[in-house]
Amino acid sequence: MKTLFGKQKSQYCRISPWNRGLWVSGILAALVTTSVAATSLDEQIERLTAEVTRHSASVHALEQQLLHPVNTRVAVFLTLQNRQALDLDSVELFLNDQPVASHLYSATERASLEQGGVQQLFIGNLADGSHQLKAVVNARSVNKRFVRRELEHRFEKRSGTLRLQMTLDARAPDYEPDVTFREWK
Amino acid sequence: MTGQKRQLYRSSWLLALAMSQGMLAASADELVPAELAPGVARYALDTGHLAPVIALAPTLTGDSADYLRARVLLSSGQTQEAKAVLEGVFASNAHRAEAALELARLAVAEGDSSAAVRWYQEASRVGFGEIRQQAVFGLAETARSQGQADSAGQYLASMDDGYWAAVGYMNLAADFAKQDLNPSRALVALRVAMAMAVKDQDRTRSRDLLDQLYLRAGFLSVRTEEYDKATDFLEKVSLESYATPQALYLHGLALSERGNYRAAMQSWHRAKKFPLAFPGVSDAWLGMGRGYDLAGYPGQAGESWLAANAAYEGERVTLGKLAERVRQDGAYKALVEDARGADAQWFLADSRTLTQPRLAYLLRFLEQPGAQAAVQRVAQLDDLSLTLEGRKHDLDVFIRAMEGHLGEVGNRSGSAEQAMLKDMNEQLRDSLARIRDKVTLPDQSSKLGNLERRLQASAQRLGSLQQRASGQSRVIDAQLRHARQLHAATRRLQAQVSQVRVSASAILDRKVLAFVATEQQRMVHALDKTEQQIAHLYEYLALENIEEGTR
Repeated sequence: MKTLFGKQKSQYCRISPWNRGLWVSGILAALVTTSVAATSLDEQIERLTAEVTRHSASVHALEQQLLHPVNTRVAVFLTLQNRQALDLDSVELFLNDQPVASHLYSATERASLEQGGVQQLFIGNLADGSHQLKAVVNARSVNKRFVRRELEHRFEKRSGTLRLQMTLDARAPDYEPDVTFREWK
Repeated sequence: MTGQKRQLYRSSWLLALAMSQGMLAASADELVPAELAPGVARYALDTGHLAPVIALAPTLTGDSADYLRARVLLSSGQTQEAKAVLEGVFASNAHRAEAALELARLAVAEGDSSAAVRWYQEASRVGFGEIRQQAVFGLAETARSQGQADSAGQYLASMDDGYWAAVGYMNLAADFAKQDLNPSRALVALRVAMAMAVKDQDRTRSRDLLDQLYLRAGFLSVRTEEYDKATDFLEKVSLESYATPQALYLHGLALSERGNYRAAMQSWHRAKKFPLAFPGVSDAWLGMGRGYDLAGYPGQAGESWLAANAAYEGERVTLGKLAERVRQDGAYKALVEDARGADAQWFLADSRTLTQPRLAYLLRFLEQPGAQAAVQRVAQLDDLSLTLEGRKHDLDVFIRAMEGHLGEVGNRSGSAEQAMLKDMNEQLRDSLARIRDKVTLPDQSSKLGNLERRLQASAQRLGSLQQRASGQSRVIDAQLRHARQLHAATRRLQAQVSQVRVSASAILDRKVLAFVATEQQRMVHALDKTEQQIAHLYEYLALENIEEGTR
């Protein structure tokens, strides 16, 4: 590359060729050792990752069994119906007017929902009987409008796990957000 | 078998035992409806929250089930198992291209280039859209890395306009620039890359790539002394890009070669605002003095070089302190964690990135692929450590709660309470039966039916309560044993993770210290240059004085 002030002053060779050979082979040996160590380290990390992931799953399962007994368990799932119509900013969830979940979406999470991902938005416990679920949705619609909508759903909780699917939709021409609820038996 | 390996096998055996007890599958299966399970798994994989879906993976059904299972295996570090599943996915009817692309990447990671080419070819044959582009790009890169530029060019020519083709042409241009004395081939490849990058739908990605391309084209133009062309390219580089400091320096260089020192110094002055870690910034400090000198202001030139000298000295001190901190706290803490700065507001994050010296050194260090792998290793192990700490805390809470609960169950029979509730239930059902005859409106009838169903459900639950309660302490006891096993496994895994982290951290420390030493050497060279310039200037001024004296 051309520099402003010409070439650097040339340096005299301070190491004899014999010594240089020793140095080069030493450096090469060190590099090979480092690379072998790194490879075995990578294998160890991979094995540990597998174990920690399995372990976390076991703890998660135990947690689910302890915290959310099957008879009182309620789970709410979120899906997108029209994948291009809305850019989801946040969703807040209220059960019987008590805030139970709120989520601010990152670009990765939005992209995943748009590609058919299903978010497990809330897991909790509810007594049997009639309840009210309110969802507050903040989003940007495809026509560049910021929208905030409150949507309500009344449901009956009976013994056993209740699985509720919330499907968010917005249709042309006004792209008004709409949520449909489905109870899975 | 070494002690560490023995420990690993023992803990994996324990975990396998825990899983075989059916705790995982039961929980996940009951919670997530089968129709939603693939979507839940996809979301968890995309967002990196694997724990809830590990148990879900075996229960997945549908076309995407095997592919999602393979992704779960890959994300949880079980590469060999994932490979077998991916080969099965490729032989099926769905997600064939994605599976082939993953297999090609695994082959590249293992250094098996012939397998990589085979899988890339399969992915490009069966895939479409972004997947096909990535596969053809992979083929072009493999050919390029084997020195087959023509073959790489043919692959790139078959690609659609967009990001992947642009990156391919940029890499090809870099090869041409290394091989040829005349940069015209490289410049043509860069121009094609620019045309391709403009078509990328992702605007941020496209902008970043275009900045890189303009900088490279500007550099090549300066090298062939085509200064007008160089300024045209360099003026297109965004002012908020990683390439900005170098582009500003080269822009100033091109202007100064055309004799426009004033404008050149303006560019260099802007480049000086960036940390000295970035390429071009130390040259810009030197350039300021040179600009004043050529413009006929020797006094200002001397001041500029003295200022440059002070800046380089200051940077040597900064680098010395950084090396000291790396030796004291480790490179990960000194360079990566501290560079994050927890107090930063998100809206300031972008401008901070390019103006903080430590972040600048981190970015420069991460330009080397080996450095990225070294940092990633430590980050991954810290992440595992954090996960294990969280799990340990959870298990502590569960164990305490279950121990307390077992004590309570032992002390309480609850039979009197149950009898009272049963009486109350019967009374309420009688009352409802009495009202039932008097109801005439359908709305009232439906309300009554609802109440009857709820009472019936309560009666059923009360009826089976005694039986369930008797089994409860047995269940809790089993769960407590399981939790204690998991707690012990957590402690073992924590010890293994911290042991491996020591080795990973040592590799990173060595790399960072070598990098800091190189940077210190760079500053020493820059200091040599300014001192040389100052010496030339004083010599010139002395000769001028002598000449004036003799007149």
